[in-house]
Amino acid sequence: MKLEFKINNTSKAFELLPNETLLNVLRNNDFTEVKCGCNEGECGSCTVLLDGKPVNSCQVLAMSVQEKEITTVKGIGTLYTPHLLQKTFVEAGADQCGFCSPGMVLASYSLLKENPKPTREEILTALDGNLCRCTGYVKIVDAVEMTAQKLQTNNLEME
Amino acid sequence: MLHQNLEWFFPHKVEEAVKLIEQQGVILHGGGTRILKTSPKSIRGLVDVGKLNLNYIHHADKQISIGAASTYDDVIRYSAKTKKLSLLAQALSEAASTPLRNRITIGGSLKDFPIWSSLYAPLLALNAQIEIADKHDKVISLEEYLETGVIKTKHLIKRIIVEDEPHLIGGVKRFALIRFEYPLFTVAVALRVKKKIISEARIYITGVKGRHKHCKRAEHFLLEKELTDDIIQQATKHFTPKFVSDYKYSAEYKEQTAKVFFTDLLQELKGKL
Amino acid sequence: MFKYVNQPIEKIDGLALVTGEEKYTDDFSFNNMLYVSVLHSGYAYAKIIDIDDTEARKMHGVVEILSYKNVNQILYTTAGQGYPEPSPYDTLLFGKTMRFVGDNVCAVAAETKEIADEAIKKIKVTYKELKPILNLEKSEGSPIIIHKDDGAFPKIPVFYDAKKNIASKVEANVGDFDKAFKKSSRKIEFDFYCSYGAHCAIEPHASVSYLDLRGRLVIISTTQVPFHVRRIVSHVAEIPVSKIRVIKPRLGGGFGGKQEILLEPIVALMTWRTKRPAKLVYSRREVFKSTRCRHEYKTKLEVGYEADGTINALHLDALENAGGYGSHALTVLANAGSKTLPLLNKIENLRFTGMGVYTNLPVGGAYRGYGATEAYPGYAQAIDMVCEDCGLDVVEYYKKWCIKSGETSAIFQALGEGKEGVAMNIGSTSLVECLDEGAKLSDWYAKRKLYGPDSEYNKGKRLKRGIGMVAMMQGSAIPEIDMASAYIKMNDDGSFNLNVGATDLGTGSDTVLAQIASEVLDTPVESFIVYSSDTDFTPFDTGAYASSTTYLSGQAVRKCAEEIKKQILKVGAEMLSLSNDEVELNDSRVTAKENIKEEVSFAEICQYSLYQKNQFQIQATASHISPKSPPPFAVHFIEIEVDTFTGIIKVLNYTATVDCGTPINPVTSEGQVEGAIVNGLSYALFENYYFSPHGKMLNDTFGKFGVYTAFDVPPIKVKLIKSYEETGPYGAKSISEININGALPAIANAFYNATGKRLHNGPFAPESILKVLSEK
Repeated sequence: MKLEFKINNTSKAFELLPNETLLNVLRNNDFTEVKCGCNEGECGSCTVLLDGKPVNSCQVLAMSVQEKEITTVKGIGTLYTPHLLQKTFVEAGADQCGFCSPGMVLASYSLLKENPKPTREEILTALDGNLCRCTGYVKIVDAVEMTAQKLQTNNLEME
Repeated sequence: MLHQNLEWFFPHKVEEAVKLIEQQGVILHGGGTRILKTSPKSIRGLVDVGKLNLNYIHHADKQISIGAASTYDDVIRYSAKTKKLSLLAQALSEAASTPLRNRITIGGSLKDFPIWSSLYAPLLALNAQIEIADKHDKVISLEEYLETGVIKTKHLIKRIIVEDEPHLIGGVKRFALIRFEYPLFTVAVALRVKKKIISEARIYITGVKGRHKHCKRAEHFLLEKELTDDIIQQATKHFTPKFVSDYKYSAEYKEQTAKVFFTDLLQELKGKL
Repeated sequence: MFKYVNQPIEKIDGLALVTGEEKYTDDFSFNNMLYVSVLHSGYAYAKIIDIDDTEARKMHGVVEILSYKNVNQILYTTAGQGYPEPSPYDTLLFGKTMRFVGDNVCAVAAETKEIADEAIKKIKVTYKELKPILNLEKSEGSPIIIHKDDGAFPKIPVFYDAKKNIASKVEANVGDFDKAFKKSSRKIEFDFYCSYGAHCAIEPHASVSYLDLRGRLVIISTTQVPFHVRRIVSHVAEIPVSKIRVIKPRLGGGFGGKQEILLEPIVALMTWRTKRPAKLVYSRREVFKSTRCRHEYKTKLEVGYEADGTINALHLDALENAGGYGSHALTVLANAGSKTLPLLNKIENLRFTGMGVYTNLPVGGAYRGYGATEAYPGYAQAIDMVCEDCGLDVVEYYKKWCIKSGETSAIFQALGEGKEGVAMNIGSTSLVECLDEGAKLSDWYAKRKLYGPDSEYNKGKRLKRGIGMVAMMQGSAIPEIDMASAYIKMNDDGSFNLNVGATDLGTGSDTVLAQIASEVLDTPVESFIVYSSDTDFTPFDTGAYASSTTYLSGQAVRKCAEEIKKQILKVGAEMLSLSNDEVELNDSRVTAKENIKEEVSFAEICQYSLYQKNQFQIQATASHISPKSPPPFAVHFIEIEVDTFTGIIKVLNYTATVDCGTPINPVTSEGQVEGAIVNGLSYALFENYYFSPHGKMLNDTFGKFGVYTAFDVPPIKVKLIKSYEETGPYGAKSISEININGALPAIANAFYNATGKRLHNGPFAPESILKVLSEK
């Protein structure tokens, strides 16, 4: 069947089966920025935001989220108009292989949007569903702290 | 894998939902995080709870009602804002992960009670009641729900009811080596203390043989006593949960460690007094 | 000192990664593509009597099924190593004998993944179950022979005895161990067991193949070794090398797990036969069970020494569980000795003995650390024990006895990878400074005194604390065997194409190599258009393993850039009417040495040389092999707290001082250290494969296996302490592997400092720790 979904602020019609996960539907419709690391809700590389909150899209049945706002990492910022958070990830060296990066960016974005001055514990909690095997998380946490710092110093709002 | 020709229902009324799940192969869908792991191909239909108005948390007449479609995250936020339900929120905030806590519903988690669940122990310690809708609406204690097998019947969970007891002190501990792991056990203790004397004690542990245990002997021992180091040590002797060995840990290790965690928990509560 | 090297340049693919623009193998799809599913063996050891796929073939949408019935039985090794590979040719793509749970039975290609998965379920396989060997100590000489009369053979002339289940055997002797050990007044014997481990790269293994417009096979794959893939696919699928192109797109982590040719031959055959694109993506469970893992190891140390701490004789013995097949069985084993023993090069009598045995368990392969990880826990504890017995501080001991600049170790020559090694002298080391600095940063001396098993601090306490350390070495590339090459050409606007075979698996090598070229040509990193790992367009490189990319591929890039520099200076001189030695490079220009105002830009130079006079394309290629493998050094200090009631170990502080020569990119270098440390920690504290009594892995998901989240990481302090390696590009050595080796030994030593008990078994999981604590 064909249904309308709201992705990254646009309406898109997808062909899908009623038993398909949101991850599958997204990847089959060229949203390859949403990755599949385990398909069991354990690694977070399939993270998308549903109404601003991070979820594992591999554990979400697409039919149940037709009315939600879905945001992938490209909805935060693109290669052509990157978000401050994404630029800071690169600056901090938080990107090694990059496979966890879309999920990390979305989880961090969701945190900073609600809480622009998070404590270290709040950052670690926000990222506790995103696995990374390359970085040891050190520079990823740095990147989030740096972004929060930049927001404060430059009196910016998290867009 | 779910069936390709799955039928979806989005009822607006609880009665409709109840009627639908009476059918063979039709079950409720909350956050969906367990359905993909546990549902056999025989599931023909999913009844989404999203439009049933069950995602609320209300406080009225010294009772807190948690709608069954509330997520773990909803409960944690509510608790942070109101400073209530802290025992429950503490357990839930360490469970699973952020993206999962944004989807796991209280109702879904209650119905599907995996052995590593962190939800039951604190709710049982809070003496929670559960309102379910099947052919009739009824409110029973969560303990009854488990022990009389209501959990296994076809029904819709409407809400959990917890007494707002500001004079209750409680704590919960779970055994997990790393953050994202299926905890070995979760032990929850709630005490009512009047002038240093324990007037009420509720102790529950999940992850044991038989899934949950109401630790009545330890509770009974603590009544009318003061929480001292000596009493804590003795209480631990009455705390004897039984476990099953698995490929990672032996039953003996789990039993031994559960006792240590129980002692630690009582020590923490002693510190709060 | 350097303009572009040793600078924290942002990764050139960074923005494309964090905005989700870059693609990984599974992100590529093609019209008319088939989806492949593989049926894996549920038996640890079994013979296939028959495969009946008639039901599956009847299914709508099933296009092809591969099994022993229609795939030529060609022996090969899955190990991505240089040719001839130092691993036995003992594997068949689809054979009739299953040698571990997860081995390949057959594969189905269908119109959708769902149909392929359904078809797999309909395939009826008749097995004859055989009694398996599920214990590495029961393998050698067992009446059960895992490679029985199957023609398996070693590709290079090394010891191989399949009849005794021996996949590899290594021995190296220096001096006379027996005599010196006997004569020693003090002796230590120590053994250590290392468990299975998994890479857990977040991207699962995947391969996609298609035929291009001229009928050539193109394979896009999650590989660390594109050129080895090409050669091995050619061999197994019987397709000429000239008809194969292998491309590595972005790669989601490898750590050695993708230095293996596993999925590529399957999709290659599917595409070659059906003429259609084919995609195979392993599920996470398949990655755990059917790819490769860290070898299980038992090491034994015998140390003969004197009261003043002088070690006269040291014997390191290693027993390695190769699993069902012997990929990397020899080389990991050899490295267990070659990356440990030279560290204490003044020991005059050394023996290294090792044996890799076949079992019917998952197959060990390349995994960051590569034998050193498995040997350091026993080795470093033995040293710790010697020091304790002689009343010496371990840090001071390493400072005195470690290998120094200009020195050599007989082991370098004695222990190669399947043949003799390569003698070398240490050309660069800051190990002593690393020891001193690390001791300072971790507050080593004070804490060592404060803790201690009989200390006031720890006596009678439930939570005991201790601090332990380990000094380590690794290598940089495989000397005289591995080769890397680079190609550079110049463009009209002063930019350059830098094409390298070198494989960036997230390490940032594309950026690091561009930094090296930048430094030679005095032009910003943005001037380089880096294209890597495409066997049609990039020159040869063995691939990302053995910590070689910066050191080996980097030197090829440097040499190549030097050639380009000569050409640019020549044209620039011509344009300025000066002689070659009157001009120099200056910030993307050629300027007169005498007068900086006489200048001509790179863009002008290229336009001149492409279009105007004496036209030629400014381009060059260069190759490099290394005459030596200069070791990076690292010292790790770990402070722990042991809960003696539950056996849970908590890491309080982790300090690492590292000598990688010149860190070409300090940020990516630190990132390598941090990532390796966290991986080493999880391997030390809980990683393991739990098997059913029939050899099936039980904990085959991230949640059951256990992977650290950001929440679990302890405070980590990293300090890079420079040295300068003449044979490396701008003084660089390597950094990618060594830091995974520190956790097991340093935590074990810290445990002794806290409790007075030695640890003989990894991982240091709570129940086994509690057992150790309760033993007398």
